[in-house]
Parts: sequence; C-alpha cells; structure tokens
Amino acid sequence: MERDIRILFSDTFLVGIMFANFCIDLFVTAATFSNLISSSYFLMIAPGSNFLTAMVAAFQSGRDVWREKYIKDLASYLFTLPVPRRLFAASRVAGGVARSVIATFPGTLVISYLYGILFSPKLVDAFVIVGLFSLGIVGLSMAVSAFASSIEVFATVRSAIQLYLSFLSTIFYPASLFPVIVQPIVETNPMTWAMNAFRSLSGQGSSLGPIAILVAPSLAFALLGIGCYLWYARL
Amino acid sequence: MSSSTIQVKASTSPVGQVSTSGLVWQMARRDILTLFRTPWIIISRSMAFIIQLFVFAYFISGLVNYPGFFEYYAVGSVVAMVASISFIIGYDIFEEAEEGLLDYLLTLPVSRRQFIIGRALGGAVRSMIYIIPMFIIVALLEKFVNPVSIIAAVLDLFLLAFGVTGLSITMAVTVRSANRFDVTLALLDLAVTRVSTALYPLTKLPLYVRPIAPYSPVTFASTTVYDALVLTSLNAADLAGLIAFVAVFIVLGATIYFRRLEGGVYA
Repeated sequence: MERDIRILFSDTFLVGIMFANFCIDLFVTAATFSNLISSSYFLMIAPGSNFLTAMVAAFQSGRDVWREKYIKDLASYLFTLPVPRRLFAASRVAGGVARSVIATFPGTLVISYLYGILFSPKLVDAFVIVGLFSLGIVGLSMAVSAFASSIEVFATVRSAIQLYLSFLSTIFYPASLFPVIVQPIVETNPMTWAMNAFRSLSGQGSSLGPIAILVAPSLAFALLGIGCYLWYARL
Repeated sequence: MSSSTIQVKASTSPVGQVSTSGLVWQMARRDILTLFRTPWIIISRSMAFIIQLFVFAYFISGLVNYPGFFEYYAVGSVVAMVASISFIIGYDIFEEAEEGLLDYLLTLPVSRRQFIIGRALGGAVRSMIYIIPMFIIVALLEKFVNPVSIIAAVLDLFLLAFGVTGLSITMAVTVRSANRFDVTLALLDLAVTRVSTALYPLTKLPLYVRPIAPYSPVTFASTTVYDALVLTSLNAADLAGLIAFVAVFIVLGATIYFRRLEGGVYA
C-alpha cells in the first residue's frame, strides 16, 4: 500500500495536474452551465467535478496494475514478495483508494467550502463518501486490468465505464428527465448514489442513510477487483 | 543521396526510386493502418460521441436558456472530437519509444524529415477518417446540404487535426514519465476544448475565461466550421488563427522530435 502511495508522490506533478483537471471541470464547465441554466445549478453539479477526478485517479491504479503486467514485467516479481496473495491484493485496492483520496483532497476541500461544511464534522462524511466511491472504482479498474489484453481494450472499457458514470447518472440532470425504461439504470448508478450522498451534506438532517447506500456496491466492486487480481495472479 | 529521393526496397517491387511525397505517404499510411488494427479506439470514441450528443446534449438543451443550443453543441462536439482524437498520435509515439519500436522505425530508409511529416500527416488523416461518420450524423441531423460549406468545414477540421497532431507529438517527445504524459495530455485535451467556444457560446462562459477562449485553436476551428455550415460564410480572421496554430505546432513538434531522435532521449 505504501508502495502505491509512494508511486503517486514520486511525481507530485501528477497530483497538480489532477487538481488542474478538477479546476477546469468546476470553474469552467460547471460555471458555464450555471450561466446557461441557473446559479443554483453550479452547486448541484459541483461535487460531480470532484467525483470525476476521483474516477480518473482510481483508474490510474488499474492502469498501473496493467503496466506492471504487460509493459514493466514487474508482476511476477511482486508476486514473489513474502506477503500472502489475498493481503497483497487487498492492499493494492487500499493503496488505490488512498491515492484517489489524496489526489482529490484539495477538490474535496473546495466542494466542502462551497457546501458550507468545511469547518463542520460533516467534512469527515465528505471524505468518507469520496473514499467509498473510490473504493468501488479502484475495484472495477483492477478487474478490468486483469482481463484487458491490450491497453486499447483497457482504455475502451475505462471509457465505457466513465461514460456510464458521467452521463447516465444524476451529475447533470435529475433521473426524472430520462425515459422511464432508463431510469432504473440511472437510479442504480454508483455515481448517482455518491452525488445524492454529497448533496445531502448541505442539508440539516443526517447523511448517514445516503452514505450507507454506497457501502454495499463499493465493497462488492472492491471484492470483484481483488478476486480478478487473485485469479490473474494464479495464472 | 539527396533528401528528396531515397532508394527503398519495397515488398511488392524491386529496388526503385520513391519520391519524397511517396515516402511521406508511406509513413502516414502506417499510422492510418494502425488505426484500423485497433478498432477498440474507434468504438470507444464513437460511443463517447453518440452518448455526448444524444444523451447529454439532448437533455441539457432542454434545461438551458439559449436558443438553438443543441445545433450549436452538435457542431462543436464534432470539432471537440477532432481535437480529442488527434491527440492519440502522441500516445502511439510515446508507446513506440517505450516499447523499443522506435529504434526499428528509425532504421527504415526514410529521412527524418519525411518520417516526422509523415507521422503528423498520418495522425491528421486518421483523425479525419474517425470523424467523418460523426460529421455525417451531425450534417444529416442539422440538414447541412451546401457542398461548398461542407468541403470548407472538412478542410477546417483537417487543419485543426494537423495542428493538434503537432501539439501531441511535441508533448510525446517532451514528457518522460508514462503517468505524467497520460494526465498531461488529458489536461491539455480538456483545456483546449473547454476553454473554447466549441461547446458553449462565448457570452455564457465565465468572465475569467472569456478573454482567453477566443485564442484557443478549437475556438478558431469551431467558429470557422460553424460559420461555414450554419451561416454559409467564411471567417477569415479565425481561419488565419487556425493556420498560424498549425504552422507553429507542426514546426515545433517536428523540431523537438528531430532533436530527440538524434542523440536525444531515445538514443
């Protein structure tokens, strides 16, 4: 896990670039939409910018696993390390989540400030939501990296997942806008759950319920990632 | 041996003279064929375009207070897609260097200049091959039928593709780390398309973006394409800006690539 985090910090430029991506998403795209639609729309879509950055950072973990396997030929060395395979696989997922939370740290602070929760205990909830969302995406990206035979296949599946999470979720519009037949797909999108959980932080009530909804799918995706990684390691 | 003609042994013909343009075309052809060997990229980009247009733009245009937003977005999304796809050549060049394939390519009987121009041309042509089906979808959707306007728009898109290819090559030979290159190119792609008027009108951009957006190469292209297709007019100022962008980045990309090849990082 420490190794994965060190990889992130071995190039602090990467963290800076990811923050720049977040800033363009928030201060250009979201701000433009607020001019096109209404000023309240900015706050509605703002958490989406941070989740998109988390998604990019989480997929970097899968890409690293893929590169270890096909480009750097490091996988066989890593599997000889004196660490039980299951623990090793779980630590890769945990390392990916830590990287994603670190990469989105400034973004989470910015969105928390916009939501007026920067100096309240709800800030912890904000990081928990980002962490849970990242857990699911890291698991998914590791599962994809285990089966992708080429970088093109990995990039295509990544792109398809990113499209689903971005455009078939409630980042930009409410689920009621979609045709009735598509609404269940939108309602069960992890991004929709993450957005709902984050939006609930600005209210007075407890946000425990919306956050709890994220736990089961994120854990399921993480287990899928671990399972695929172990399956690949056995070959 | 002059730089304009080089003796090559082609697989289908005995030793013969191949002109400069022939060698440049052979290099370009290789990049174009690479595209068809990796259909996954075509699938993913086409999927992105279709969802962006028929899901995102469709729903958002129902929410925004801007008449004709869908038409504006549809034309702009083709321009943004050309820019996005043209960046891919950089990934290819980076991977070739990383995997050691570049060493083989450099042993080919092609001069460095022809090699570089061929790569840039190949990148631009394959971007156009990618985009043509999407362009046709938008043209049918928006009922663009004027052939002169369509030809002018395609030429503008080609200029953008050529310039962005140069920019992508410049980045591929400048950035050393794979992860750094990946995110830098993604950022550059995001910056040139979002800080432009391709997808959103200038008057709706945030105040701090408005002074910069008109100078984005994607803005130059989207304005000239929009004017050609929708207003059926020629926007000479933006066309000049687009040509200047192409000239700067093709020369810059070629120069840096050339220096890196000769005793540089790849040596």
